[in-house]
Amino acid sequence: MMRPLPLAARRCYTLPMRILVHVLAPALALLLAAPALAAPIRVDINSGIAQPLPIAVPAFATAAPVPTAAGTTTEIGGRVAQVIANDLKSSGLFRPLDPQAYTTSVGMADVVRPQFANWRTIAAQALVTGTVSVNPDGGITVGCYAYDVFSAEELAREGFVTTAAGWRRAAHKCADLVYSRLTGETGYFDSRIVYVSETGSRVKRIKRLAVMDQDGAGHRFLTSGQNLVLTPRFAPNQQTITYMSFEANRPRVWLYTLGSGRQQAIGDFPNMSFAPRFSPDGGNLIFSMAVGGNTDIFRLDINSRKLTRLTTQPGIDTGPSYSPDGSRIVFESDRGGSQQLYVMGADGSGQNRISFGEGRAATPVWSPRGDLIAFTRIGAGRFSIGVMRPDGGGERLLTNAYQDEGPTWSPNGRVILFFRSARGGPVDLWSVDLSGQNERKLPTPLDGSDPAWSPLLP
Amino acid sequence: MTERQALLGAGAAHILLFTALSFGWQWSQKPLAPADEMIPVEFVDIADAPRVTEAAKPSIKAAPQETTAPTPAETVPPEPTPATPTDAIPLPDVKPEPPKPPEKAAPAKPLDMSTLSNLIDKALPKSRVKPLDTSALATRIAAATPKRATIDPRAAATLAQAIQAQVAPCWNPPIGGADVRKMTVVIRADYGRDGGVIGQPSVVSQTGATAGNADYSRAFAETARRAVLRCSPLKLPPKLYDLWKSVEINFDPESMT
Repeated sequence: MMRPLPLAARRCYTLPMRILVHVLAPALALLLAAPALAAPIRVDINSGIAQPLPIAVPAFATAAPVPTAAGTTTEIGGRVAQVIANDLKSSGLFRPLDPQAYTTSVGMADVVRPQFANWRTIAAQALVTGTVSVNPDGGITVGCYAYDVFSAEELAREGFVTTAAGWRRAAHKCADLVYSRLTGETGYFDSRIVYVSETGSRVKRIKRLAVMDQDGAGHRFLTSGQNLVLTPRFAPNQQTITYMSFEANRPRVWLYTLGSGRQQAIGDFPNMSFAPRFSPDGGNLIFSMAVGGNTDIFRLDINSRKLTRLTTQPGIDTGPSYSPDGSRIVFESDRGGSQQLYVMGADGSGQNRISFGEGRAATPVWSPRGDLIAFTRIGAGRFSIGVMRPDGGGERLLTNAYQDEGPTWSPNGRVILFFRSARGGPVDLWSVDLSGQNERKLPTPLDGSDPAWSPLLP
Repeated sequence: MTERQALLGAGAAHILLFTALSFGWQWSQKPLAPADEMIPVEFVDIADAPRVTEAAKPSIKAAPQETTAPTPAETVPPEPTPATPTDAIPLPDVKPEPPKPPEKAAPAKPLDMSTLSNLIDKALPKSRVKPLDTSALATRIAAATPKRATIDPRAAATLAQAIQAQVAPCWNPPIGGADVRKMTVVIRADYGRDGGVIGQPSVVSQTGATAGNADYSRAFAETARRAVLRCSPLKLPPKLYDLWKSVEINFDPESMT
C-alpha cells in the first residue's frame, strides 16, 4: 500500500525544469542539429478561444475505507472531489468533466502517477488527484495534486491536516491551490460570506445576520431577527463582524464575535451610527454618524476608543471603504447635490469626487487588488453593479437587471457578489465576475441582501 | 351579560393574550448558539512514494506522443524508493527514467543526465530570461554551417498561416488576468515528420512578465505550451518538412482583450 509520507514538497516543480528545457535544451538541440540548421519559421497567434478549462477531478483515493466522525475515508474522498469540482466550476474558468466519462478510477498509486493517456482520451487538460487518510488523533490528512495532462507534468501539491469535520475546508484549500496554479491568480474558495437573511412581508421584514461558506454550505444564523440588522462586514481576522443594528430602537454600529457569539455596541454614541467597515489592519472602524443634522464619516480606534471625525461637509457622507493598503478611503456623499463617490486620504485629507457618469453612484467598495472600486450605479430606473478605477476612469457596468446593489469583492478581486431584487419579487445573492460574465445565484434558505465576502481563511 | 361586562371581558382577554404573546416572544429570544469557530486547517508537505515513474516529462527526450504514461508503469516497477526528498527541485522527475525508449531521434536525445544536472546547477543562479548564449550560439553555428538554399518567403508565409490556423483554436489564454494586456510569449516547438511535437515545447521569450506577476506569467506561458501540445500533430506538407521542423510561435492575446 503506498501512502504519502510527510516530507518537503510544497513548491511546484517547474523552475529548474524550465531552465533545463528553455535554456539548455535549445542550446543542445542547436549543437546537435547543426548541419540541418535553419531559422525556425515564425508564427503569430493573436487570438485563441477563451473557454473553461476541461478538468478531471476523480474521487480522492484512500488506502482502505476507515471510519471517521464524518463518514468513511472513501466517502470523504468522493465528497472532497465534488466540492473541488463545484468550486472550480463556479469560477467559470473550469469545466469539470462528468465522472461518468472517466475511463479509469484512481487508486492510491495513480494519485502520484496518473495514467495521462487515459485522461487525454477524455480531453481533460488538467487533472486533480488526491488522497484521504486518517491521522492517529482521529483527524484527517487530505493530499492534493494537480497535473497538466498534455505535458504530463505535476504542477502543484499540498497536504491539509484537519479534523474529519473539516474536510470541506481541506477541499476548498485544494481547489484554491489548483485555481491559483492554473490561472496564476490567488484563489478564493476557502472563504465565507456574511449577509442579511430576510423573510416576511415588505412591511414587516425580519432581518437576521447569517454566515455561510462561499459555496453556500455551513449556513448559520447569527442573530434571532428580533432587531433589524444591516450592512454586516468582516474584520480582516474573520472572527469579528461589524454591522448596524436597531437594537432598542437605537440604530448603532455593533460587533459580533464568531465563536463566542458575543455582541457589543462599539460605543454609547448619542446619535445614529451606521455603514461600518474595518480598516485593512483591523485596528480601526470607519462608519457614518449623524451629528446635528449632518452625517459625517468617523474613524474609531478600536483599542483606545478614540473617535476621529474625517469629514465635515454638509450633507450625508456614508458607505466608507478603505483601500487595501489603508492609505485612502472611498465613500459616497450627496454634498454636490446628488449621491456620488469621493476618495480621500485615510485622515480625511484631499476629498475628491471621482464619479461623474449619468445618474447616481453609491455603496463603493475598494477591490482587494487595489486597482478598482465596485459600486452601485443608480440611473434610468435601475440599479447596476459597476466598477471604476480609483481615479474615476474606466467605468464599466457589469450587470444589467432591474435592481442590483451592494457589491462586495471576492478575496482575490476577481468576482463580485451583490444582491438582486426582482420587481416586487425575491431578493437574492448573486455573483458576477469582473468581465461581466458568469452570473450565478447563490443558494440561501431565505431571501438575502447586503453580502460581505471574507478574506481568504488562514 | 351587559355591554360593560362584555367590554371588560374582551379587555381582559386582550391583556391575557398580550401577556401570553409577550412571554412567547420572550421565549423566542433565546440566543442562538454561536456559530462555530472556524475549523482549523494546517498545511503539510506531502510526499510521493511512487511519483517517480511518472514517465511524463517528455521534456528532453523524444515525443511522448501518447503512450507516455503506460510505458513506464511497466518498465519501472512500483519504484521502491519511498519518499524521495523533493524540495521543489524537479530533478527526480527527470532522473528516474532510465529506459523509456524514445521513438524519435529527438535533437536533444543523447543527453547525459549527470552532465545535465551539472549544467543546471550552473544555470540556476542566473536569471532564466532568454537563454544566456543560445542566440549567440545559434549565430555562431549558423555562420559555421554551409548556407542552405534560401527559404521561399511565400512558402514560409503560407506555412505560418497553416500553423496559425491549426494552433490558435487550441489556445485558451487566461484573459481575465490583470496583466494580460502586456503579456506575450514565444514558444518554440520541434516537430517530427508526422507533424507531432517532439519533446516539450519551450519558452523562447516572454514579455510583460514582472516580479509581481510571476505566477500569472508562468500560467500564461503554460497555456501557450498546452495549445502547441494539444494541437499536435499538425497537418503540414511533408515536402516542406525542413521548413517546419522547428517553429517559433508568438502568442499574443491582443485581439482578445
